[in-house]
Amino acid sequence: MTTTRPSLARVLRRAWGPVRPVMIVALPIAGAAGALACVALTWRDGSANRAIAALEAGHDRPVTADAVPELLLARIRFLAARERLDEAEPLIAALDGSGSPALRALAQIALGNARLRQAFAKLEAGDLESATPLVGLARQAYRRALTLRPEAWNAKFNLDVASRLVRDFPERGREQGEEMPADPKKIWTDIPGQPRGLP
Amino acid sequence: MRTRAIKPPRVAREIPTVVMAGVLSVCLPLPAGAQIGSVMVRSPRPFGLFVGDCFDATVEIEAADGFAPQPASLPKPGPLTYWLDLTAVSVAPGPARAGNRLWRLSLTYQTFYAALDVRRLDVPAFTVTFASEVPRATTSAVAEVPSWQISVSPLREIQPPPVADPVEYLRPESPNPRRDPALARAVAWAFASFSVAGLFALARDRAWWPFRRRAARAFAAAWRQVRRHAARRDAEAAYREALLALHRGLDRTDGRRVMGEDLAGFLARHPAYAALAQPLDRFFQASREVFFGRDPSLAQRTCPFPDLVATARRLAAAERTAKAGGRS
Repeated sequence: MTTTRPSLARVLRRAWGPVRPVMIVALPIAGAAGALACVALTWRDGSANRAIAALEAGHDRPVTADAVPELLLARIRFLAARERLDEAEPLIAALDGSGSPALRALAQIALGNARLRQAFAKLEAGDLESATPLVGLARQAYRRALTLRPEAWNAKFNLDVASRLVRDFPERGREQGEEMPADPKKIWTDIPGQPRGLP
Repeated sequence: MRTRAIKPPRVAREIPTVVMAGVLSVCLPLPAGAQIGSVMVRSPRPFGLFVGDCFDATVEIEAADGFAPQPASLPKPGPLTYWLDLTAVSVAPGPARAGNRLWRLSLTYQTFYAALDVRRLDVPAFTVTFASEVPRATTSAVAEVPSWQISVSPLREIQPPPVADPVEYLRPESPNPRRDPALARAVAWAFASFSVAGLFALARDRAWWPFRRRAARAFAAAWRQVRRHAARRDAEAAYREALLALHRGLDRTDGRRVMGEDLAGFLARHPAYAALAQPLDRFFQASREVFFGRDPSLAQRTCPFPDLVATARRLAAAERTAKAGGRS
């Protein structure tokens, strides 16, 4: 150990010799490049925040699918509040790819609220038939939000509201919602000579 | 903390299999042994659950030593019933005790039951297959985890007060989250200060402003002056000045006056410039011809101006390498 140590130090010093001139030039350049990149990120965040504020104030701003997740969410909420859900679909797909679970949950809550508002409008008009699937879609959205973020209390509350709406329809109880379990006996009714036991 | 403990009767369903030489498979009914001991379900809080809440359960299964749960037989995360999801499953071996090992299954469920009143619901039972791997034989036993109960609670009253617009039943949406540029800004400042520090180090190394008069960079100053003179129109006078600048650099480096005949001694005292012995020799020849010779134009033939600039540049580079960090 005592013999290798000085030689190691010498090797290091010899290696440092040719590296040093490169390093001393490269370090300030790398620092400047990093600073510029971070300034660009800061600027992007600032402009995204301005666009979010505009969307919240009700001014439409075009948002592409590669925007930052918070801006995607603001645009999804803007479209959902105006019942332009078809336009929101690609943005929700983009947010599912890039956003955190909390933001994705907020998007699903916005989607569920939009569906539920549509259902309320149908109910007010007395159109129970078309309101039921809308409530089902809203409940699916809230459930997805809760899967993403179990502590999303707004989603819990609104899911409770939506669940009671469907329960109010006598022909489709909540117990037989969209996840209606298949009755094994009914599967085979169309087949003559139904088999006994499992297929 | 309340703990639910369910002890089912000993499970007596074993599937022993002996595979011999990979050709013959024989099923031998082994005596119903005690491969699986007690099965206990514990939950830290199986009550007061609202719609969407997650709750944990730990299943403790006592199995004979050597038996391990088959990963494929564990319940899969996903929907179990229309109101219940299983979100996470993990299994870990616990302490060994009198020839048995305690296996702990950690399960996380999520309930989606929108309750109107407080009520008890059954979490479905499931089975876990344990297998013992010994050479040429696999013995398996099934542990039956019993169904257990949770109690769910309603979030709202049964009859909420009437509102003008049913949309008012919904919770208002929270303000849109904003981007936080603080981190990027802080990192930008860190990079900028790092860059400035690096720039200072570079300026000090190259004897740029404000380190122009740095003692350890005599040749850097000489090179700067030589370069400046190289750009001048009056070549004759500029060449003289450049030679003088390089002389001053040599003198400051050595701390005394260096003449042509002292070159060998100078190179011995400063081995970093040994590679430049020939250019320095030509430089001293040219200097002698300019200042003491009869024909100063001969000097430019011995050591042309571009060579002089290159020599000065190489001297400055050798100086930086030799006195890295300004130790001398």
